Amino acid sequence: MVGETLRNLLMIAWLLPLCGFAIEIFGGFWGSRKSRLAAWIAVGCIATGFVCSASALLIWGRQNEWVVLDKAGHGHDEAGHSEGENHAAPGHEGTAPHAEEHKEEPAKAQEEKHGSVAGSGSYLLTSMEEAKADQTAKQTVFSGTIYRLATFGGLELSLDYYIDSLTLVMFTMVTFIATCIHLFAMGYMSEELTEEYVDHHAHLRNGHHLHRPGRFYRFFAFLSLFCFSMLGLVIAGNIFQVFVFWELVGICSFLLIGFYTERKSASNAANKAFIMNRVGDFGFLIGLMVIWTYFGTFRFGESHNAEGQVTQAGLFQMLARDEAGNVTKSAENGEVVIGAAEASLNPVNSRKTIPYFLLVVAGLGVFAGCIGKSAQFPLQTWLPDAMEGPTPVSALVHSATMVAAGVYLVGRFYPMFVQEVLLTIAYVGCITLFVAATIAVVATDIKKVLAYSTISQLGYMMLGLGVFGWGAGLFHLVTHAFFKSLMFLCSGSVIYGCHHEQEMPKMGGLWKKMPITAFTMLIGVIAISGLAIPGLINLSTVFAFSGFFSKDAVVATALAFVKANPAHFLLFIVPLITAGITAFYMFRLWFYTFAGKPRDMHVYDHCHEAPLIMTAPLMVLSVLAAFCAVGGEKGPLFLLITGDQPGHVAHGISATNGLTLPGHDAIHSVHGQAGLLALIAAVSGTAIAWLLYGTEKVNVAEIKRQLSGVHSFLANKWHFDDLYDAIFMRPMHIAGKFCAWFDRTVFDGILHSAAKITVFVSQWDRKFDETVVDGLVNLVGNSTWSVGNSLRTVQTGRLRQYVMFIVVGVVALFAILITSFAG
Amino acid sequence: MNPFFLLSILIFLPLLGALILLMFDERNAEAMRFWSLAVTLMTFGFSIALYFQYDPAQGMLTAEVKDWIPTWNVYYRLGVDGISLPLVVLTGLVSSLAMVASWSITKHVRGYLILFLMLETGMMGVFLSLDFFLFYVFWEVMLLPMYFLIGVWGGPRKEYAAIKFFLYTLAGSVLMLVAMLMFYFYSGAKPESFNLVALADMASKGGLLSPNMQVTAFALLFIGFAIKLPAFPVHTWLPDAHVEAPTPISMILAGVLLKMGGYGIIRIAFPLCPYGAQYFAYTMVAIGVISIIYGAFAALAQTDFKRLVAYSSVSHMGYVLLGLAIWKINEAGDTINSSYWQMGLNGAMFQMIAHGISSTGMFFMVGVVYDRVHHRDLNKFGGLMGTMPLYSGLAAGLFFAGLGLPGLCGFIGEVFVVISCWSFSPMLAILAASGVILTAGYILWAMQRVYLGAEYKGPHPEALTPSNARENAVGFILLALAIVFGVAPALLFNVMEPSVKAMAQAAEAGYKQSASQLNELQAQR
Repeated sequence: MVGETLRNLLMIAWLLPLCGFAIEIFGGFWGSRKSRLAAWIAVGCIATGFVCSASALLIWGRQNEWVVLDKAGHGHDEAGHSEGENHAAPGHEGTAPHAEEHKEEPAKAQEEKHGSVAGSGSYLLTSMEEAKADQTAKQTVFSGTIYRLATFGGLELSLDYYIDSLTLVMFTMVTFIATCIHLFAMGYMSEELTEEYVDHHAHLRNGHHLHRPGRFYRFFAFLSLFCFSMLGLVIAGNIFQVFVFWELVGICSFLLIGFYTERKSASNAANKAFIMNRVGDFGFLIGLMVIWTYFGTFRFGESHNAEGQVTQAGLFQMLARDEAGNVTKSAENGEVVIGAAEASLNPVNSRKTIPYFLLVVAGLGVFAGCIGKSAQFPLQTWLPDAMEGPTPVSALVHSATMVAAGVYLVGRFYPMFVQEVLLTIAYVGCITLFVAATIAVVATDIKKVLAYSTISQLGYMMLGLGVFGWGAGLFHLVTHAFFKSLMFLCSGSVIYGCHHEQEMPKMGGLWKKMPITAFTMLIGVIAISGLAIPGLINLSTVFAFSGFFSKDAVVATALAFVKANPAHFLLFIVPLITAGITAFYMFRLWFYTFAGKPRDMHVYDHCHEAPLIMTAPLMVLSVLAAFCAVGGEKGPLFLLITGDQPGHVAHGISATNGLTLPGHDAIHSVHGQAGLLALIAAVSGTAIAWLLYGTEKVNVAEIKRQLSGVHSFLANKWHFDDLYDAIFMRPMHIAGKFCAWFDRTVFDGILHSAAKITVFVSQWDRKFDETVVDGLVNLVGNSTWSVGNSLRTVQTGRLRQYVMFIVVGVVALFAILITSFAG
Repeated sequence: MNPFFLLSILIFLPLLGALILLMFDERNAEAMRFWSLAVTLMTFGFSIALYFQYDPAQGMLTAEVKDWIPTWNVYYRLGVDGISLPLVVLTGLVSSLAMVASWSITKHVRGYLILFLMLETGMMGVFLSLDFFLFYVFWEVMLLPMYFLIGVWGGPRKEYAAIKFFLYTLAGSVLMLVAMLMFYFYSGAKPESFNLVALADMASKGGLLSPNMQVTAFALLFIGFAIKLPAFPVHTWLPDAHVEAPTPISMILAGVLLKMGGYGIIRIAFPLCPYGAQYFAYTMVAIGVISIIYGAFAALAQTDFKRLVAYSSVSHMGYVLLGLAIWKINEAGDTINSSYWQMGLNGAMFQMIAHGISSTGMFFMVGVVYDRVHHRDLNKFGGLMGTMPLYSGLAAGLFFAGLGLPGLCGFIGEVFVVISCWSFSPMLAILAASGVILTAGYILWAMQRVYLGAEYKGPHPEALTPSNARENAVGFILLALAIVFGVAPALLFNVMEPSVKAMAQAAEAGYKQSASQLNELQAQR
């Protein structure tokens, strides 16, 4: 069975790093600090994972005869059509995969199943025959359950898998980049291979630097744990499982950012990252609650029983869309209809309808999680601080994979998003990409520039997804992963070569010292800036690196969207301008670092090129950063990503009221125009950067001085940190202090005053007793006193005796019990 | 094994061990410790045996009933089901681990050990009794040793903390006593009148208390159990008791004693007064949510490490109350979305076990550093990751379990409870969900101040030696269990689910009966 083979391969790729983690963390702790063994185990695990993922991709492709790539010849219009068949097309939802299931079954079982589903209506049969007749309807989506967590009544929580072309591309991409970064890190972290590591950034009170044993093994153990969590996130077959691994990548990020635990700045940054992510996850939880309450399941795809028959519909099948792509509403109460094509497949606890606003709440909730994870506005401030982690971590976790998980989830959960949610996504992405790009212009720390650039590019992806460019957003995710991880590794190479100097004003002219790094970095810079050489005849034959194609796709979708909805014109203007800013700050970084004259001779003199184990990954990644997107939107990568795109994407959504979302045709018609504008923006950005930083004709300091207001505003990151400190952190601590105070003074105060009143009353009582009652009963009292006197011997104040009394008491109590058995 | 023997030995083995301790030479502290450890381990072994003997499908595993005080219709009636079994095993486990942690106690060792073992008898008795009077007796039996354990072996303000604990709990048990007598006399003072199973059966048929009486009885029981849980606003004994109690006693207090509140609610309050339970459902959920948020905020402001963990218990036990009470009905008196309530109940039960593991671990971890440097001021720690690496790693794991990280036990309980809450009340569900942010805040900031940083900032830096094998063993066991239950929650759910479902269905039927009685009454008027 292909499905099982794929599942097994991907599960090996997923679970191997977890085994690696266990071995590395314990083996390393009790092993030698100078051993590279942990790193080799980690590399072995992830490289095997890559082999498994790549073979899974090949097997998947052979099984469906690379049906998704065939579309290249058919051109745009037909591509959309055949895609619709493959995945949950409107109305076909739930039924198309039925038909696909049959492909796996022997003929006999097929007959039986025909019988079982025939009763549910002729519509089903026709659609099935249609699907069978259509040669393109090869099975491309595989889903199922790995492991059940719990069952309550009709509710079931489990770990599932959901494998389609996107899953496979992500698996291959993540494992490949992770392998490169693991190798790079072996060189970068080699200083930790010692019993006595000196941390120059951690100061003791006596003014010395901190000395500690090296933690090489721990770094690789955390990396392995991260790979496990990330791959688990990608393979996840239900939204709850995504949440589980969402948190796990979060904690891995926490551990890796705070790798230098002795540095206050590192542990602060780690806490900030985790807590800000939790803010997003709070929204995520709300989304989960709505889905759980109304749909009664978390699964994306259908559930199957042991015989492979469909037993329950998944989320994607339950939210039906009409011909125009809108969700269908019930005629009775105007709420959105929930339900699979075959009503018997609905989960036991699903309701029949869901209020439209709750569908929006669910979508926004899940997207809130993505805002946190992908560092989108307004939760973007943790990512630049996260640069406290070692640079390979920034490359893997904070540029290529984990922060892209938010984008991945938006893509994965796309069928559940309605127009309002998509518009929010688009605007959030739009604000983010602009804000982050402007800050990147003034940042001087080489890693901070890249961090802001990452946020900005993630904004592009979100924007792309939000304006209905499902393929465009995810395309940019993959190309960005390659060129940004490349650039982070290059910056790591610079930092390593310059002995942990990260400030660009102290660099300059480094290309002579580190040519490989400079050259590969340049490839990355060109790729992200979106420079291209247009073909002479038409724009569709441009020669360009990967970033051009994917950014072009995003901008083109935005233009098509704006043409359909002119009120939202900013969604096109802002990314277009930002494309110029992007080219500017990226070339600024390159010129600042590698070109010109050395500005700090001390740094320059001690600078050197990194060893081969670090430069080799750079070269490999630079090839991919340059050519992975070859062919643009007709190239294999794009077609592979969009192979299983949600059914309603191809045709767009034509709404009677509200937003119209562009289909493939609309986007295609504006493609040339958008590409040209984007290219002009990029070229002008590059030109300005060259003018300011490449030549020495313009005095940059003078410009900075004249715009000092703007500059300090940008350098202070738009004051987001101060703002959040004032409106969240301080109130939170004040509320905490208030609660603690309330406990001590009010609750305990009530208790204490009650106690005081009791004491007062009893004192008065005693007085009354002693004067009035005692006078009357003095006679009796005298005799009582003698008894009491004898009892005083018992009250010795010796603890052991008290304990004895209690024991005897308890034993006596149960002695009664035992004796009463007899009776 | 014969259930009567097994259940009885679980209860009385520790007491027997305590008696035998009297024969030991008082100067030979080490021998007495090993003997006590052996007793707790044996008890734990028997609880494991019970686990394997219990079949989840059978419902209640009851032992033979013996007369105790027949004239008052009090019987020696024991039994165990899916609700109590996990708590019995937890009691055995936490007692054994706390005994391992008790090596650091050097004052009056024999008295300590005797009280400790008596406490275990009391706890086991509470979870295994099916006779209300017997339950009450064990409830009180557990109270006294605890009072002395805090009051004698505690910290500087031990007398205050002990008396506060005692008075609070006593107030709760007096209310419970009143409720118990209500049940006794309203059911006719018959031989079955203290039988919890029979009373629950009557209640589910609507034959125990009238709806209004149920409201009163439930309020009495609930206040009694809420004190123990502890829920806002009757939680203030907890921080003091925890801060002053010695480490092992804190472990037992957090690991087992708090669970008695939740257990009492699900074993007694819900089945015996279903109408009252439903009547107060919203109140209880609201109290649960307030406890979550309030406890988390208060934890955020603490500078005493142990006090912080204590407030985290208030917050975490709020989830228990929340999960138990998300019982929603429609106008006709039928329960709607019963699966979600069952999920909440199961999640709450799971949360009790999860908290029993993570909180026990956190208190132990605090105790390990306290034993070394004799202070708990969060602002005077730092850098423990460097001086005590293995200890810090284990502690980090257990704190993450408390933080609710997936893959560790805390996550399952919290998230299951929270996501099943929306169908009861979206607003309260959102408030409860916001707890995840605060929890992350106080746990991470505490960890940062204690474990991270360049160097230790407090007194006695020379005392910070790496943890010894005994301490590592406790940490490893707790962390391993946190992972096991986090990855395979079905281990617990399989045991709990049938019993919880039966309880829920009986309560639903009982509510419907009471509601229709009420309607008839109103119709007559």
